[in-house]
Amino acid sequence: MGKKLRIGGWFGDILRVSRKEFYLSFHDVGVIVFFVVLAFAYPVLYALIYNPEVARDVKVVVVDDDRSELSRNFVRSVDATSEANVIGYAANMEEARKAVNEKECYGIIYFPDGFSAEVERGQQGDVVLYTDMSLLMRYKQLLTAMTNVQQTYCSHIMLEKLPAMAGSGGAIIESREVPIGNTGRGIASAVLPAVLILVLQQSMLLGICMLRGGSRERRLRNGGRDPHDVGAAVGSTILGKTITYLIIYLIPSIYVLFIVPIMFSYPQNGNPIEILVFLFPFMLCASFMGQSLQVFVNERESTFLVLVFTSVIFIFLSGISWPRYAMGGLWHSVGNAIPSTWAANGYILMMTDGATLVKVQHHYFMLWGLAAAYFIIAYCVERFICRPRYKRMEYYDAKDPGSLLREEARRNGLD
Amino acid sequence: MISEYVKETVKRGLVSLVRRRIYFIMMVVVPLLGAFFFLELIKSGSVEQAPVGLVDLDNTALSRNLSRHLAAMQQVDVIQQYASFDEARQAVQRGEILGFFFIPANLSDNALGGHHPTLSYYVNYAYYAPASMQYKGFKTITVLANGGIATNVMQTLGATGEQISATLQPIAVHTHPIANPWLNYSYYLNASFIPTFFALIILLVTAFTIGIELKYGTCKQWVERAGGSMGLALTSKLAPQTAIFVVVGWTIQWMMYRVYGLPLNCSPWVMLTAMVLFVLANQAFAHTLISLVPNFRYGTTLCSLVAVISFSLCAFSLPLEAEYPWLASLSYIIPSRYYFLISMDQALNGIHPYYSRWYFAALLGFTVLPWSLMWKLKKECLNPVYVP
Repeated sequence: MGKKLRIGGWFGDILRVSRKEFYLSFHDVGVIVFFVVLAFAYPVLYALIYNPEVARDVKVVVVDDDRSELSRNFVRSVDATSEANVIGYAANMEEARKAVNEKECYGIIYFPDGFSAEVERGQQGDVVLYTDMSLLMRYKQLLTAMTNVQQTYCSHIMLEKLPAMAGSGGAIIESREVPIGNTGRGIASAVLPAVLILVLQQSMLLGICMLRGGSRERRLRNGGRDPHDVGAAVGSTILGKTITYLIIYLIPSIYVLFIVPIMFSYPQNGNPIEILVFLFPFMLCASFMGQSLQVFVNERESTFLVLVFTSVIFIFLSGISWPRYAMGGLWHSVGNAIPSTWAANGYILMMTDGATLVKVQHHYFMLWGLAAAYFIIAYCVERFICRPRYKRMEYYDAKDPGSLLREEARRNGLD
Repeated sequence: MISEYVKETVKRGLVSLVRRRIYFIMMVVVPLLGAFFFLELIKSGSVEQAPVGLVDLDNTALSRNLSRHLAAMQQVDVIQQYASFDEARQAVQRGEILGFFFIPANLSDNALGGHHPTLSYYVNYAYYAPASMQYKGFKTITVLANGGIATNVMQTLGATGEQISATLQPIAVHTHPIANPWLNYSYYLNASFIPTFFALIILLVTAFTIGIELKYGTCKQWVERAGGSMGLALTSKLAPQTAIFVVVGWTIQWMMYRVYGLPLNCSPWVMLTAMVLFVLANQAFAHTLISLVPNFRYGTTLCSLVAVISFSLCAFSLPLEAEYPWLASLSYIIPSRYYFLISMDQALNGIHPYYSRWYFAALLGFTVLPWSLMWKLKKECLNPVYVP
């Protein structure tokens, strides 16, 4: 009987904490901005920036010392590609360089004297492409345009010379590239899934830390006590809050994970139920991680200072722009400890490459492991750092009422 | 009298810097660690050795020769050979490999019989940078395969080496990537992300410094101590931070250009000056944003949003002209964009500073911006209302 009552008490604590956390979350505009508005607006804003996916018509200037029919036709073909746009001819390299420096164009195509004569003699004719390297994508586009035109001309010339050898386009063995997963090869479709996962994690961290900042401010004004504190044990507090966050996040996460990809037609090859099951430990991780990091936040607004920059670091650690296999051991291990790394890669494999839950079991188990680890950290932080701090605050306030606020003012540079 | 006011407010700025640990951590530790993170992460500058698989259903001398070539490629690292297409496909789904090369059955027979067999390579474009690396590697192998067979055929016809290459490729394109012939990825990523990361910190710290006065209602005293001049109150409270940020910024530049050897093809003074302007521009930009919405949380939210979005908005990967015009226009009001353009013109390309004149002017322009909104911030400071 007694045992049953204790379990009831423990369970009751969780429910009370959870209910209170709902109340606090929905009565704090700042927290709602993080939990809901951020999750709804940010992916759309981000997707819009990357929606054009590639650069078209990169401007390029021509220096033609050959002045032949072949070179003129070659230039016209380059201009006709979707990647490049020939803005005109320059008299010499000097003039062309100046145009690049003034950002009138980003590349120079140069035909040396004797280019067409070489080709006619059956020797190799050389075209030179100079590109500005301030953006990799412009270089790539110009190179693609040049290579495509070159290959067309090559097979034409080859066909004339060696009709026996040229099957289709002159190849004996043909080759084809088959893009898998992200079949459109779009940069947005590649990067956005990871950003979506990051949005879920970071918005939750921000919201949790802001709630904690609010609680500490209430303690400052109330002699070290938070009037909204339910007084539950450490474990029940952490679990109760987690239940609340998970419920609040149900709709935002369905929107972020499934609706945003529909809106911008990103690959959707995963089973939604399996993806939700996969991400359940991830959401637990985010909640426990937030409750661990809250120790660094002393007022609502320092949340921004402490957490915003981590988004940039975490997105890199996930390996979406710089692959994880190319990272050194140190950053690889740090990445292993961040929930978004496993969640983002698993979500990409499921959503883009159509993996089932079983295929990403390694990621899944890592997420459960991290959830356990972060729960322990959150427990220790609350039990051994935060609660003794509250006790000290109460003690100082009892000794000298108002000292907490005065100390806060002093720390901000006032005497 | 004025010197008295300046002394008062500078002291106020300094004291808060010393008494709160968060300033030291955010102004010194985080920017330097962040720079170290990016520099160290992308040290190698290329994403070579993408883990890939191989499916060889032909298993002849020709296919084994291709596999050997593949194994020797820089771009890819063949970590596993699979018995079937399905096995390889599943390894991709498990995330073990990022793509695979598929050699069909009877490749050799079909090739020699003139049936034009097809070599396929499957590339997982969910990971963008390694995908283009794989494309390059796989494509080279297929070209080699053709070249090998063609050379054999032509040699039997009695052609010389030069004739062969001229026949196979009558027109050759030579590429000269100006100032970065190695296509080093680190040159872009670090030149754009590190300053933008630093800008994020400057924006947030500045917003925090102003906002905290608003929050605790101490701003009235702050303005009064400066003799009622908002401009004086701001400049002298933020001056110590400017000094710290400039020194940190210079340290970051030293790490970039000296320790990690990023190209510095201009006089160091140009970039050092650019850093001073960059710090000032960002502080002024934060002023402007918080003056627009004179409230701690709104101001900081706005600063965070602008700072984070500028990583994508400032066109470090997708060129500005490719973005939607209404979004692209936003990037003109972000200091990081101009610093990036300066560093490309000066540090990377080493062209005359004349060509970067507008970018320097723009950074200077940011420092003028907040003065037009000073009255708004002053009004709020004299009657602070804290909105949680």
